[in-house]
Amino acid sequence: MHTIRIWFTKTGEASYISLLDLQRVMGRALKRSGLPVWYTLGFNPHIYMTFACPLSLGQESLVESVDVKTEENKPDFAAWQAALAPVMPTGLAVVRVDYARIKAEQIGSAAYTITLPARAAQAVEEYNRLTEAVVMKKSKRGEKPVDLKAHVPALELKTDGESASFSVTLPASETLNLNPSLLLKFLEDRLGLPAEECAILRTALITKDGEPFC
Amino acid sequence: MFDPKLKQALARVQKPGRYTGGEPGSVYKDKSQVDLRFAFCFPDTYEVGMSFLGMKILYELLNQHPNWWCERAFMPWLDMAQQHRELGLPLYTLESKDPLTDFDIVGFTLQYELSYTNILAMLDLAGIPFYAADRDESWPLIVAGGPCVCNAEPIAPFFDMMMLGEGEWQLQKVCETVEQAKKEGWAKRRLLEQLAGIPGCYVPSFYDVTYQPDGRVQSITPNCPQAPAKVTKVILQDMDSYAPPTHFVVPMVGAIHDRAQIEVLRGCVRGCRFCQAGFLYRPMRQRSVGMLNEAARDLCANTGYEEVSLTSLSTSDHSQLEQLLDEMDTWTPQEHVSISLPSLRIDNFSESLIEKTTMVRKSGLTFAPEAGTQRLRDVINKNITWDEIEKSCRIAFKAGYSSVKLYFMMGLPTETMEDIEGIAETAQRVVDLYYSNPDKPKGKGVQVTISVACFVPKPHTPFQFVPQDTKEQLEAKQQHLLHSVHSRKIRVNYHDSSTSFLEAVFAKGDRRLAPVIEAAYRKGCFFDGWDECFRYDVWLETFREFGLDTAFYANRTIGEDEITPWSHMDYGVSHAFLVHEYHKALAAQTTQPCNRQCSGCGANHLLGGPCFAYDTDLVHENR
Ligand code: SF4
Repeated sequence: MHTIRIWFTKTGEASYISLLDLQRVMGRALKRSGLPVWYTLGFNPHIYMTFACPLSLGQESLVESVDVKTEENKPDFAAWQAALAPVMPTGLAVVRVDYARIKAEQIGSAAYTITLPARAAQAVEEYNRLTEAVVMKKSKRGEKPVDLKAHVPALELKTDGESASFSVTLPASETLNLNPSLLLKFLEDRLGLPAEECAILRTALITKDGEPFC
Repeated sequence: MFDPKLKQALARVQKPGRYTGGEPGSVYKDKSQVDLRFAFCFPDTYEVGMSFLGMKILYELLNQHPNWWCERAFMPWLDMAQQHRELGLPLYTLESKDPLTDFDIVGFTLQYELSYTNILAMLDLAGIPFYAADRDESWPLIVAGGPCVCNAEPIAPFFDMMMLGEGEWQLQKVCETVEQAKKEGWAKRRLLEQLAGIPGCYVPSFYDVTYQPDGRVQSITPNCPQAPAKVTKVILQDMDSYAPPTHFVVPMVGAIHDRAQIEVLRGCVRGCRFCQAGFLYRPMRQRSVGMLNEAARDLCANTGYEEVSLTSLSTSDHSQLEQLLDEMDTWTPQEHVSISLPSLRIDNFSESLIEKTTMVRKSGLTFAPEAGTQRLRDVINKNITWDEIEKSCRIAFKAGYSSVKLYFMMGLPTETMEDIEGIAETAQRVVDLYYSNPDKPKGKGVQVTISVACFVPKPHTPFQFVPQDTKEQLEAKQQHLLHSVHSRKIRVNYHDSSTSFLEAVFAKGDRRLAPVIEAAYRKGCFFDGWDECFRYDVWLETFREFGLDTAFYANRTIGEDEITPWSHMDYGVSHAFLVHEYHKALAAQTTQPCNRQCSGCGANHLLGGPCFAYDTDLVHENR
């Protein structure tokens, strides 16, 4: 049995699907594709699926992935991609199908591109001048303070007409996961960034060793 | 990408996935290439609307025309409605995100009376004037279909046209006519005249209604030669002439009924006297096993659903249900699909049905005796006996089920406190039955839930003549029921009687209610069907302001020869038959189901021949 990793985008309409809903949506897409995916055994068999590093509602991504299993001997990945393409909903586009080479536990960080209105550039400049940017991070064990500056010392802003953007890499491991919305919320609360007009796009997942997750 | 205002709204609301579209199966077209745009509006939430089969049927049919585009719109929940207002974002369809004003036809489906204010809310959010008289050719044509059209007089002034009966053929005919009108630049009046000539199409402005001093209707007269004195509903004479839809828009965020649905038959043979659907959809017609099996298979393949539900008013009355289940059994296991039957009748509930379906696994067993004593069940023509209830429960308990839900109604004609006690007794007997079963699952107790609805007399039924119980009467009966239940194994659920009261007023209302509904909406009434939004006091106050007596509509006996607000609507069942059934009800006499014996209701005229070939056995044996 092989573990297959299906890479897909989650943009536009699809960025408003929660993880719970995404599981159902993906299960049905796989079923429509007719691909020989493996079903769990037992009283209520269902397609085996695990998602790496789920995204928050409203954020977009170019690098989402779901692992499925198959008993096919030599899966033809081009054929898998072709079977999935017509059955995926708007905004969920299959980018690549491959063996799952690295375990999801090895993910260490994620890279994002944040788009903001160019007129809000000053919030980013002010952030760069700060020595400390402490936010409260909620977790199952209550809230704890995190200094964003320790992870993101400076932001490099690129302006393109009325809109501007910066890239940021944030921890995304099991021990520490920083949602980019924490950074935006800080910029909004403290430095006046209009967070509602910003967009978050995940562009890469990186392993703890600094390699691309694949 | 989305309009920035829409993105902003989506960031602020709960469950934004309801407002984005893009679901698998949704249809996208190039709007510059289409000749007719239809906005199918469901005046309730996305979750409710996406569970509704009628929308799926018509969505697929209309979109099969390459030059028509049918899109969907739902009533946004409170938070999103507020965002529409705050941000000046007009109500849009989920596919193109274009405002409703860009459409040629805006069509509402009227599934229940308490969604009427949501229609106004949707028009309001779209910036469309409420009254048909205030809209010229530049506005979309506002139309309605669905069961409540059988007396939609309270909202008739808001609509240009309404459709009686089944939409498959009719709605396409309407769209063709509107397409032609658009090409040829007809005035609105000419279009309406043409539409009035299509079977089942009702143009409210073509009828003048006068009233007697006491408030009863004096006359309903057509004021235009194209308008028939009586509008007769259309039906599909042959259910096999239209295959069930095999493509659904598959919701990505939780619809209530999120599964494949196949309509096995339409109408119902039973003739329960309280049931409006049973009269509106006469006569019963069923689809053939081959067509159903094939459609079910295609639908599951196209949607990816793992559950297919065989739906109808009374699925177990399909004469070849077991055959259909056997056919489906040849492919469902390997496709990981399970079959469910939503509506089971106690009297033909069998062990083999339990085995072949999974209907009970999720929801537990549900039965609807509707009344607590045999006498009252005879009055309402719910022909179920205690023996049948007992037999079905025995089968179910033997199969390992330990929870049963029983549905009843309260406030039925001729009902006494004895009948109310009968509800509690029925539940108690089910509990006792469980404990007397030697094979009962070990260590498990039984749970019997009684769910009691307030009876609402509906037009086009034999009970249209009867008054609804008053709020006080209903509340006294609810209390009496609670006092009659003596077991902790029995749980009682009942509904607030005030929503049923408003439902009764709307159900039997006339055109004078339109301004009341408008005024109540302006005061903030919408989502009336949702307990958290229902504002009973505001409604009562508004009726008073207009000098209209709610009891006149809900709590008055209607004369057998009275002209009702819906007397120009013909659903195939004769007035004489309704009166006859009413008399039989008062005498507690039952009527045979249609597939056993025709009682001459008149609906066979819609078929042009008898409803059933009684020489071939269409009836299930009682098992
Ligand atoms: S005509 Fe007879 S069989 Fe047909 S619906 Fe009426 S009562 Fe039933």
